[in-house]
Amino acid sequence: MPDKMKRPDVKLVLLGDMNVGKTSLLHRYMERKFKETVSTVGGAFFLKQWGPYNISIWDTAGREQFHGLGSMYCRGAAAVILTYDVTNWQSLAELEERFLSLTDTANHDCIYAIVGNKADLTDPKAHLSRTSDGQPEDQTECEEERTEPQVLSACPTPPASPASLSGVMLHKQVTHEDAVALYGRILRYKGLDEKSSLPAEKVCFETSAKTGYNVDALFETMFDLVLPSILRKRHENQESPTVDLEDSQGAHSRKARIGCC
Amino acid sequence: MERANHQEGEAQGVRICDPPSESNPPADTLATSLSLLGNHMFPDPVERLGSTTVSRDDPANSSDVTAEEPSVDAEPPSNQLMKLETEDTETSESQPVVSAQPADRGTEDAAADNDQNDSGEFVVAMLAKAKLEEQGIGVKGRSSPLLEAGTQESPTFTSHRDEDVTADSWRQHRKHVFVLSEAGKPIYSRYGSEEALSSTMGVMMALVSFVQSSDNIIRSVYSEEHTVVFLQKGPLVLVCVSSSRQSEQQLRGELMYVYYQIISMLTQASISRIFEHKKNYDLRRLLAGSEKILDGLLNLVDSDPSFLLAAVHCLPLASSLRDSLSQILQKAITPNLVFSILIAKNQLLTIVQEKTVIEDTRLEPADVHLLLNLIGASSAFQAGEIWTPICLPLFNPDCYFYAYISYLDPPDCTVCLLLLSTDKEAFYAVAECKRKIEEAMETQNSLSLIAKAQSYSVSQVGVSDLRHFMYKPFDVPDNYRQLTQFTSPEMEAPYGSEEEKMRLLDLYRYMHSRIHSTSRPLKLIYHVAERETLLAWVTSKFELYTCFSPLVTKACAITAITKLLRWIKKEEDRLFIRYPPKYSTTPNPSKSSRGGKSDQQDSTDNGFLSLL
Ligand SMILES: Nc1nc2c(ncn2[C@@H]2O[C@H](COP(=O)(O)OP(=O)(O)OP(=O)(O)O)[C@@H](O)[C@H]2O)c(=O)[nH]1
Ligand SMILES: [Mg+2]
Repeated sequence: MPDKMKRPDVKLVLLGDMNVGKTSLLHRYMERKFKETVSTVGGAFFLKQWGPYNISIWDTAGREQFHGLGSMYCRGAAAVILTYDVTNWQSLAELEERFLSLTDTANHDCIYAIVGNKADLTDPKAHLSRTSDGQPEDQTECEEERTEPQVLSACPTPPASPASLSGVMLHKQVTHEDAVALYGRILRYKGLDEKSSLPAEKVCFETSAKTGYNVDALFETMFDLVLPSILRKRHENQESPTVDLEDSQGAHSRKARIGCC
Repeated sequence: MERANHQEGEAQGVRICDPPSESNPPADTLATSLSLLGNHMFPDPVERLGSTTVSRDDPANSSDVTAEEPSVDAEPPSNQLMKLETEDTETSESQPVVSAQPADRGTEDAAADNDQNDSGEFVVAMLAKAKLEEQGIGVKGRSSPLLEAGTQESPTFTSHRDEDVTADSWRQHRKHVFVLSEAGKPIYSRYGSEEALSSTMGVMMALVSFVQSSDNIIRSVYSEEHTVVFLQKGPLVLVCVSSSRQSEQQLRGELMYVYYQIISMLTQASISRIFEHKKNYDLRRLLAGSEKILDGLLNLVDSDPSFLLAAVHCLPLASSLRDSLSQILQKAITPNLVFSILIAKNQLLTIVQEKTVIEDTRLEPADVHLLLNLIGASSAFQAGEIWTPICLPLFNPDCYFYAYISYLDPPDCTVCLLLLSTDKEAFYAVAECKRKIEEAMETQNSLSLIAKAQSYSVSQVGVSDLRHFMYKPFDVPDNYRQLTQFTSPEMEAPYGSEEEKMRLLDLYRYMHSRIHSTSRPLKLIYHVAERETLLAWVTSKFELYTCFSPLVTKACAITAITKLLRWIKKEEDRLFIRYPPKYSTTPNPSKSSRGGKSDQQDSTDNGFLSLL
């Protein structure tokens, strides 16, 4: 099929229960804004220019109604961002129960990130956005006053009742340790060796789409991590330029249909 | 709804049977309001229901003054008072009515048998029970339309009903809509959470199942303020509680749209399978997140006459521009693409269909309405390209299409491309079509031309006294066959404000209900209201609703309509999509794209059934 479209070099998929903030995270990253969202229908496709590469990002719907589409969106994915809401234990459980199996169609060397969003609700430190260069993020459309948050110790869970910027802090239902443990179980599910895989510290994030906390770090870490996959693919493509790009990606040597991945 | 010339008569009618509403304790839940409704309906339940129950068309219209005549050129005896309709006067004491007959509405129902009496008493009992069960459960802090209407209107009932229309709360809550499963599980409520209302829903459910069990389908319950309409579709029960004075038929049509929107998300086959599998399944699990789509639909139903007319509204466009857009769509194709639709400002620009599809069938307006609503409700993050399954219930209620939705003019996001494919996996191929379309539109400078297109002003028609109209042609020339359309100018002063717009729409709805009355359909209605005069006319070729300034004479109105029809004829290439092109994308065209399980269409369930 002839195509003038900027063929995406690599695919990244956002998965997770409805309402955890997938769309908000992507919107924060792409548009530098936090604004009201509508629950996603199906999936939404975005193309992100990352240096010389085109990265396609699928923001999927978390609603059960669209469950079966997940494996299609995941086909040939180089990275999957499994998203939960730190104030909602069930949203972490759903990742294992409902979303993990969808990633069966992803690349065999797919990279998994576990992301606990809405950290602003539980952690005062999430009110100071952390961007990749350490500079505070421009908090567009985020009304909170920028007062100095309480400096916390290295404690992963928030103090009982911190003086919050937005008022009441919610109970943090999912700790960083819970996410790390889930990461371990995912590696086991995938039959991957923990030692040869990426360490949990590198791929378990806590973010806030609302304040921008850790959002750039998340996406940019993922982009950097999939670079090898892009390079390999480009290389393979040079060797056999007639082969459809997507073909070489199929994890289970699936017969890729023309024009889909 | 305005009842300009007969306030007195109606007021009297009301006083006769208006319950001592002042003595009703203030109620702040839907259930208590419902029981208030019960009081309204059955001030003296046993006696009333023991007597003959009259099923009639619309009690709201009982003593309306309208002028009717068989043809336009008949000489009216007077400009304003043509003929006092006496059809309904025998029932104008506003006796509450439970219409429990599936058919034969509008006829006196002498067979007020035991079933009906029982069901009537049952209504009262259940509504009273609702009151007990739901005291103290708030409805998201809002009072119900039943209550509002009751308290607002009872004291000043005699006049200026329309004044109350301006109240925001009135407009917002004048129509409640509930969806429940056959097992009585709440699925959706327009206002208030379904949980808070669950016992009300339970009551309605009990009501429905009771009447079902006695082989009667309960269809509607009237009081003089409210109409409660029930609709059962498969395992779903839909209920509308309205004070909008619309006809039962219209309200039922609106419930159908709600049903279709649910089907468009889940398919009819899936819903049946779910409930076969598990009778008391909580469908909210699957519809969670879709409430905004249903809310949006109901707001559109109230504010957009497309739904009332069951026709689509396209943006007026020079036919040369529309043709060139159609050709662009026609050229950007890929296998299994079946519909290409271009939308600007929420109105159709053009629509191109696959050949074999268009041969068997045409796209139903209702399906287009659902698509437009979906786009409106999913456009929050407009930079992306959306790929989502959607069922077009009138086309085929059991299969999914895959919709590609993308805006062509970010960041404005007013021009939207919608491509429908039968292939779940076709996203990249379909996205490629979009790039081709984008490219072609750029070379032809289409976007800036589209940006200039706008709806027209009624002043362009050049007929003084004509304030607004809605014109819906039937399939006269073959070219219209693809899609029922209507044309209508912008609503301008004096209908500029939201309140006045709504008031005009209500007048149109009233005219529409008279024209389409099942018991006594009319061909022509000349309705003199207080602030305007309306004329509705239906022929074998078109359906027309016009609104004139109040002082227009009948003769003037008729001349005006003749001029208007001439103007529409002259402009029809611009006002309607007239020559829809087709393309052929099906590798092995099958004639059975509709209804039958076509091999092209996806009848799977998107995998959610595995989660049951
Ligand atoms: N406080 C806070 N709220 C957030 C954050 N991210 C998202 N939200 C809110 O959570 C709700 C859901 O956000 P979405 O981004 O639509 O969630 P989603 O995961 O895309 O949901 P689906 O599309 O239905 O799967 C919205 O009301 C957001 O405003 C966050 O970081 N902090
Ligand atoms: Mg989303």
